[in-house]
Amino acid sequence: MLEAHQSPVDQHRRSAPRDLVMVGDGRFRVHTQAYVSPEVFAQEMRQIFSTQWVYLAHSSELPAPGDYKTTHMGLQPVIVSRGDDGVVNVMLNRCVHRGAVVCRDQRGSANFFRCPYHGWVYGRDGKLTGVSMRGGDNGYGADFEQPDGLKVVPRVDSYRGLIFASMDPEAPDLREYLGRATELIDGKLDQSPVGEIRLVSQPYVSRYQGNWKFAAENIVDGYHFTFVHAAFIKLQGKYGSTTGDFHVHQGHSQSEERKYRTTGQSFATRHGHGLNMKPNPTQVQLVEEAFPEYHLQLQAQHGEDLATVLGSNTASIFPNLGIIHHQIRTWRPIAPDVTEVTIYPYEVVGAPDEFNQGWLRSQERFYGPAGHGMPDDVEIFALNQQGLAADSVDWLILERGIGAEKQVDNGDYQGLASGETPQRGLWRKWKQVMA
Amino acid sequence: MTETQIVDAVSAEAAGVDIERVRQFLYREARLLDSGELREWLTLFTGDGLYWVPIDEDQPPERCASLVRDDGPARDERVYHLLETPFPAQSPPSRTVHVVANVEATRSAEQIVATSSQVVYEMRTGDFTQVGLGVVRQLVGQVTHTLVEQGSELKIARKKILLIDRDMPQGNLTFII
Repeated sequence: MLEAHQSPVDQHRRSAPRDLVMVGDGRFRVHTQAYVSPEVFAQEMRQIFSTQWVYLAHSSELPAPGDYKTTHMGLQPVIVSRGDDGVVNVMLNRCVHRGAVVCRDQRGSANFFRCPYHGWVYGRDGKLTGVSMRGGDNGYGADFEQPDGLKVVPRVDSYRGLIFASMDPEAPDLREYLGRATELIDGKLDQSPVGEIRLVSQPYVSRYQGNWKFAAENIVDGYHFTFVHAAFIKLQGKYGSTTGDFHVHQGHSQSEERKYRTTGQSFATRHGHGLNMKPNPTQVQLVEEAFPEYHLQLQAQHGEDLATVLGSNTASIFPNLGIIHHQIRTWRPIAPDVTEVTIYPYEVVGAPDEFNQGWLRSQERFYGPAGHGMPDDVEIFALNQQGLAADSVDWLILERGIGAEKQVDNGDYQGLASGETPQRGLWRKWKQVMA
Repeated sequence: MTETQIVDAVSAEAAGVDIERVRQFLYREARLLDSGELREWLTLFTGDGLYWVPIDEDQPPERCASLVRDDGPARDERVYHLLETPFPAQSPPSRTVHVVANVEATRSAEQIVATSSQVVYEMRTGDFTQVGLGVVRQLVGQVTHTLVEQGSELKIARKKILLIDRDMPQGNLTFII
């Protein structure tokens, strides 16, 4: 298990977090302490993970009443449970009596949750239904202020099956929060003739020795691929789709890949979501040639938008959700320098089985801990964190493509494909909520 | 010899398996992996052999991701990747020691099924003052080799590794487990 390796020396710990993001005329820099400081991390847990819409689950993980999964909002353990009425409840996984967790499994189906310590029992909706040995002089008196139940997270909402929760009762409407990211989610899910995805596979779970924001930044980073994944591009050149790529990756040489990585556009939304949107011509061709019926169906539904629906569109949704290829990804902060990443490959409901299988194999080849892509990204995150131990260097530079960036209608920023527009969006939001 | 070993040897013999031959085969495979003779390792498999490290062996692999699910071309690619294309997750590279124990085997007309317990000790080389380098990790699992006779040689038709933490968080597994 990874341990936190923080340096006790932290000369900047008194500077306000808002000063850790330098925004100015053509300048955009982020201070080292934003990634390494334990104080900043603690503040992130309070001001980001306890206020923003945090992604928790996909509805297909909890198909029936009683189905639950455990997860976290920041460092706080929660239970996501479908109640008898079909409504999804999110409760803190902490007995209101003396604090023990009431659920030790990661997922399952339960009629109730019973605290192992003194046997207090809670319903699927978190309501306290039984206090053990309640009566008598050993028990609780008539004036006992009995809690209602597990602490319930006040806001729970979903967008097309993606379930989010916020501990802030005043949080904005989820659709408003997601903003332009809804268009990208729509496009992804509209690959399904019935508009749905389904989580079937076990997820990949990895931990790395680095800050959570490296994962949030990198998933929409159009700049790193030809460097971090140079070996993978060589594999593409030698093996093409014979080892499972399923025509997902475009570049079979450095020059092809460079050209591809500068194609398309990127966005940063008001609430800190970064989007990277590119065409994916070989996927379009694959669907057309190998799955003609499915192609006809999609074409009838989407017409000229089909190229966008089948595009290579990627989102980093603030603070903890990634959507790329055919996967939902979430990153969980554990310490300033320890993060857990979970990758859930999804199936497109109504698409041919061979199509879903092809995608699964492709993602297995790239994204698993023994895959040919993701382990290199994770290694870089650890390298970043290690390098930031050199904290007499103050700033990281996030100014790539800033000259080509412009603000559009609703205040979102639009940039080029290999610029750092998505990352700047994250940091603008971060600066705002950490103020 | 302990009593258990005697019983195992007797039952293997009764099943018509040369258990020592199987052991030597597994030891050789471990040695090839630890000494980086990965091209030689590739020759241990049949052409359509499978190298499989599942997350959940009870789920159909068509719908459930595996940690590794390599057919011949994918094994070739993995070895090419390790030997000929430097990449961050193996720069600097891992050293490994595969320890093979508890070998048992049964045989049918077509194949030998050998089960063993395996501990892989792994360590990234390089600047040991940096976090994550110079730290010895252990990967613990049960291995099932399905072996077939080709000429006078044993070949691996399927190798399955069930790590005890297969459905738990993983670190870097970009060496051959």
